[in-house]
Amino acid sequence: MKLKKVLIAGVTIALGSFALVGCSSSSSSSSKTKETTSNNANSVLRISEKDVISTMDSSLATDTISSQNLNNVMDGLYRYKGKTIAPAIATKVVKPTNNGLTYTFPLRKDAKWSNGDPVTANDFVFAWKRTVNPETKSQYAYIYEGIANAKDITAGKKPVDSLGVKAIDDHTFEVTLEKPIPYFSQLMSAAFFFPQNEKTVNKWGKQYGTNSDTLVFNGPYKLVNWKGSDNSWTEEKNDSYWNAKSVNVKKIQYQVVKDPTTAVNLYQSNKLDRALLTGDTAKQMKGSDGYGITKKSSTFYLSANQQKNEIFKNANVRRALSMSVNRKQLTSKVLGDGSTVNNSIVASNIAFDPNDKTKDFVKETSSTGDKYTKYDPAEAKKLWEKGLKETGNTGKTFNLVLLGDDTDNAKKQSEFLQNQLEKLPGLKLTLSNVPFKSRLTRAKSGDFDLVVYAWNADFPDPINFLTLVTKDSSYNVGKWENEKFDALVDKSLTDDANNPTKRWKDMMDAQDILNEEQGVAPLYQLGEAWMTNKRVKNMTLNPGSMYDMNLVELKD
Amino acid sequence: MTKYILKRIFYLLLTLFIVASVTFFMMKMMPGTPFTNQDKLSAEQLKIMNQQYGLNKPIWQQYITYMLNLLHGDFGTSFQFNNQSVSTLIISRLKPSMLIGAQAMILGSVLGIILGAISAINKNSWVDSLATFVSILGISVPSFVLGVLLQFYLAFKMKIFPIALWDGWRSSILPSLALAVSPLAQIARFMRTEMVDVLNSDYIELSKAKGNTKWQTVVKHALRNSLIPVITIIGPLTANILTGSMVVENIFSIPGIGEQFVKSIMTNDYPTIMGLTIFYSVIFMIMLLITDILYMIVDPRIRLTSKGRK
Repeated sequence: MKLKKVLIAGVTIALGSFALVGCSSSSSSSSKTKETTSNNANSVLRISEKDVISTMDSSLATDTISSQNLNNVMDGLYRYKGKTIAPAIATKVVKPTNNGLTYTFPLRKDAKWSNGDPVTANDFVFAWKRTVNPETKSQYAYIYEGIANAKDITAGKKPVDSLGVKAIDDHTFEVTLEKPIPYFSQLMSAAFFFPQNEKTVNKWGKQYGTNSDTLVFNGPYKLVNWKGSDNSWTEEKNDSYWNAKSVNVKKIQYQVVKDPTTAVNLYQSNKLDRALLTGDTAKQMKGSDGYGITKKSSTFYLSANQQKNEIFKNANVRRALSMSVNRKQLTSKVLGDGSTVNNSIVASNIAFDPNDKTKDFVKETSSTGDKYTKYDPAEAKKLWEKGLKETGNTGKTFNLVLLGDDTDNAKKQSEFLQNQLEKLPGLKLTLSNVPFKSRLTRAKSGDFDLVVYAWNADFPDPINFLTLVTKDSSYNVGKWENEKFDALVDKSLTDDANNPTKRWKDMMDAQDILNEEQGVAPLYQLGEAWMTNKRVKNMTLNPGSMYDMNLVELKD
Repeated sequence: MTKYILKRIFYLLLTLFIVASVTFFMMKMMPGTPFTNQDKLSAEQLKIMNQQYGLNKPIWQQYITYMLNLLHGDFGTSFQFNNQSVSTLIISRLKPSMLIGAQAMILGSVLGIILGAISAINKNSWVDSLATFVSILGISVPSFVLGVLLQFYLAFKMKIFPIALWDGWRSSILPSLALAVSPLAQIARFMRTEMVDVLNSDYIELSKAKGNTKWQTVVKHALRNSLIPVITIIGPLTANILTGSMVVENIFSIPGIGEQFVKSIMTNDYPTIMGLTIFYSVIFMIMLLITDILYMIVDPRIRLTSKGRK
């Protein structure tokens, strides 16, 4: 008898709780649905994102999602307009004085924070000092290197106040460098150089940037109702933005969707205007209406460990490796995620000839780039045998380890490379696919024979990639060395730093040497595949790897 | 009874302490750093970062600091979410996971018990075969396959439910269904086997002899006695649902806690790993405690304290 009561009570509670939950949230859900539908007509852009925002503190952001959202709600000195840098809080794009060591930025007087405060030179001084302060624990503080004393401050050797920044007056901001930084203007559009409102940061302390209540905005949008780790968030047009009239889309809704099939379902049911495709879904949707890719500023390349294997010191052997890989098949059939063949360690679509903005750095060096990256197994075999002969290894067998990540795509990629490279006589590869962090550790400590290495640009300039393979670089895991290459890279950063034309030539020459020698074998540039609704216009990635959401338009 | 529960709570705390300690040391053995940008930090910069976070101290010292903070209820701040406190992180993502998990468990156990009972009563009939078929299907089809199917047919094609996204209770129905099937099937299997046994026992004969109808016999005697083994598996199943909901959460884009756990491990986010391990352990142990208490209610022969009761 007792049991019956217990059972009945249990079932009642269970059903009751269903009903209760149903009631309490159905009211809110229906009102929300109404809101979304009514807003659709009223220009709401709905985008899928692959992960959450990890922080909105511009001193701490390291990932592209946080940077993108900071870019939506904040304004720095400059902002990209298409492929070129345009003034934002600064009133003009400044040319440096004092041999390229001093930048004096005049600031606009009509820029305001969303709390009503004007944006002043002090906001930049404050933010920059905060970033280099070791106590802030910024993982990007190294990007400040070159600004007077920055390196010593981040290392704790000099006081924070010695940073080479100064507010001459409320609307004049001066930066002093200790060596010329030829790509300084490009840096000024990036999130880690954004200003911060001192009052707000001090009020919230460590909590600054952990939810939208702790933030003030000076950019095109305002982040609302974001609690710190939400899967969805909304940005509304900021009416107090100095350039609010240029902002077209009134509201942006971001939604984290990790499953690509779900993303496509949502897109096709018109719940998303733009959906990110990954893995096999990207392959399936290729060619359908609305499909498109964006090139990310990351490149993938094959590095051969010269310290462990003498034969890789031979250029013909390295060329043979490179020519054995069918990159077209790798990107379209194996990866299929929107990645594109790249014949350079430098990403394309980030840097353009200073005298002719239509000329992409990678395209300009493509004649040397194509020479040894084109797929030619017969020629590869010849070069391989020539190389083995030159090093006295003819007929020998090489059992080597190919190191890679353990993601699905990376595993497929390793298997493909194994298949391609083993066509070289005597070359046997064992695959080692390990978690990202282990791959990094092993690559840096030289515990591999071949590794697929990747680099994502910190700033849009070829030098960011070229310095990866100089003699002293800690990223030069294969230990390729070339004196002429190093000298050219060095010259572009010193003697020719203030001469854009000469500097461009230095970098091209360096790139040609790297291409000729195949110091590393470039494989592809990372891409993202998207489905985009026809009504979304002007949503393109700028050279700094950001979407300028203020330029996007919705046309129904 | 009170004494018993107090004793259990003491053991719970002791177990928690051991779990936390073991996790702490194992976690520190994982390669890499918790810094999301570690591939771009030079050795020198890494050293400075470690120093700032106190990660350069000997591990036993870090351990003591962590445990002392824990005593004060401080789980620390997350690395992946800069300066975000771990407790806020867990709490904000807990609700959806809990709602889906609880619904799935309630649905799964109620339907599972009913299905198993019907199956046993109609042993070897077509009803039994059908029920067996359903439970085998439920055990062999993983929740994420079911999730994708439910999403495609019920949401995408027929538009009865939302495809994904977290927008009110309606969004929780499909994921709950997807998750409910596996416990439903397992509970039904257990229930059937047990009830077939019970139905063959003497006291059932006696009950029939006393003139009770079939229905009365089943509800009064058979059901109750068959529930004991079922209760045994409900505890672990619940914990399973909570930890195993990650893939389903991904399919339906639910801001749940499951994926957070995996991500924290992938990124060496030490404080989050610790916080979530402790949290899951507590849930698991509470489930076991509830199971034990339920035993006592269902079966008066089970007395949890042998001497304590007079």
